[in-house]
Amino acid sequence: MAFFKNFNKGILKENPVLVLLLGLCPTLAVSTSLDNALGMTAAVLFVLISANIIVSLIRNFTPEKVRIPVFIVIIATLVTIVDLSMQAFLPDLSESLGMFIPLIVVNCIILGRAEAFASKNSLKDSVADALGMGVGFGVAIFLVSFFRQLLGTGEVSLFGVGLSLPGLSANPMAIFILPYGAFMVLGCLLATMRYLEVRKNG
Amino acid sequence: MSKKPSMKKELIPVLFLTIVVCIAVIALTLTNDATNKQIEDGKVSATVALLSELFPEMTDYSYDDATAIYIIKQNSDVIGYSYSISGNGYGGAIDILVGVQKTDLSDGNIILQGISIISQKETPGLGTKILEDTFLTQFQDLNSDDIALSQNGGQIDAITGATISSSAVTDAVSQSIADKIEDLRQLNSEVS
Repeated sequence: MAFFKNFNKGILKENPVLVLLLGLCPTLAVSTSLDNALGMTAAVLFVLISANIIVSLIRNFTPEKVRIPVFIVIIATLVTIVDLSMQAFLPDLSESLGMFIPLIVVNCIILGRAEAFASKNSLKDSVADALGMGVGFGVAIFLVSFFRQLLGTGEVSLFGVGLSLPGLSANPMAIFILPYGAFMVLGCLLATMRYLEVRKNG
Repeated sequence: MSKKPSMKKELIPVLFLTIVVCIAVIALTLTNDATNKQIEDGKVSATVALLSELFPEMTDYSYDDATAIYIIKQNSDVIGYSYSISGNGYGGAIDILVGVQKTDLSDGNIILQGISIISQKETPGLGTKILEDTFLTQFQDLNSDDIALSQNGGQIDAITGATISSSAVTDAVSQSIADKIEDLRQLNSEVS
């Protein structure tokens, strides 16, 4: 039960992007296509789960004073492994995500979960937390990417399979592909989340 | 105040962090060893793919280290030259591979084989149109004197909404001809 509770809270109630407002930088920056969103989610999920596992395993003998440097070293190592592997085996994806893979190191979701959850909870709960937060991040970046790609290019595609809106693709609203489009889409999503929450509670 | 036990207490965090860093270094070394060759191979095969796209008749190529120019061959005959350059686009550097046909390379006799984009960070949907054939094919078989945007008296039509990207590519290619022409002539006289 606790496993699912820890998993579920990351998706809606404590969604890292839409509720906690963590990890906004990659959500805004690489959300120009669903392929990017998928690559970013996979990378974040891998780093988040591995970091939570390791941090949780060593939580009982990590000295309090150096815990943050220890977490950073672990996270930076994992991110570099992801970065190198992606360059080696998925060069196209690596090219389009560019700088934002190395920047996962400073993604607040990962350090935040290591510090706030994994360093205080059991291995099982930490994995559940990482999965929930990772999927929650994925849901958010997929939503932003979907609207940006649809409105900004008139077509939505994943692995080259997708649909295009005839009227829109001939004359797309390029503003949504540009950086400020990301802020507009994210703002609307945050407002929608708040509206649903208030309506449910009120 | 006893100093000895507190010294020991102070050392534990230092040792712990040192051990963590050592493990991280080992893990990174192993990953680097495992991926290094794959990454290099990927870069080489990406370049070869681009070269053979520019020169469909290419059967072999060699690389001149001194001038950083690829010599494109078809059954041991040199058919052209290629080199990579970098232009300042709207979103950062645009890396371009330029192909030049083999002629006597005298003035007015420098003809582009074509260009292709190696990497770019332009605005998706606007600047990324420099990747499309409608833009790139304009450079095919173009005389070097005509490498300029049509608004500046050249033969290249800029992309609507992406003038900066278009002129970054055009200017970089045009400038590179001026920079590389001596090297190209030198190479040309050596191979023929």
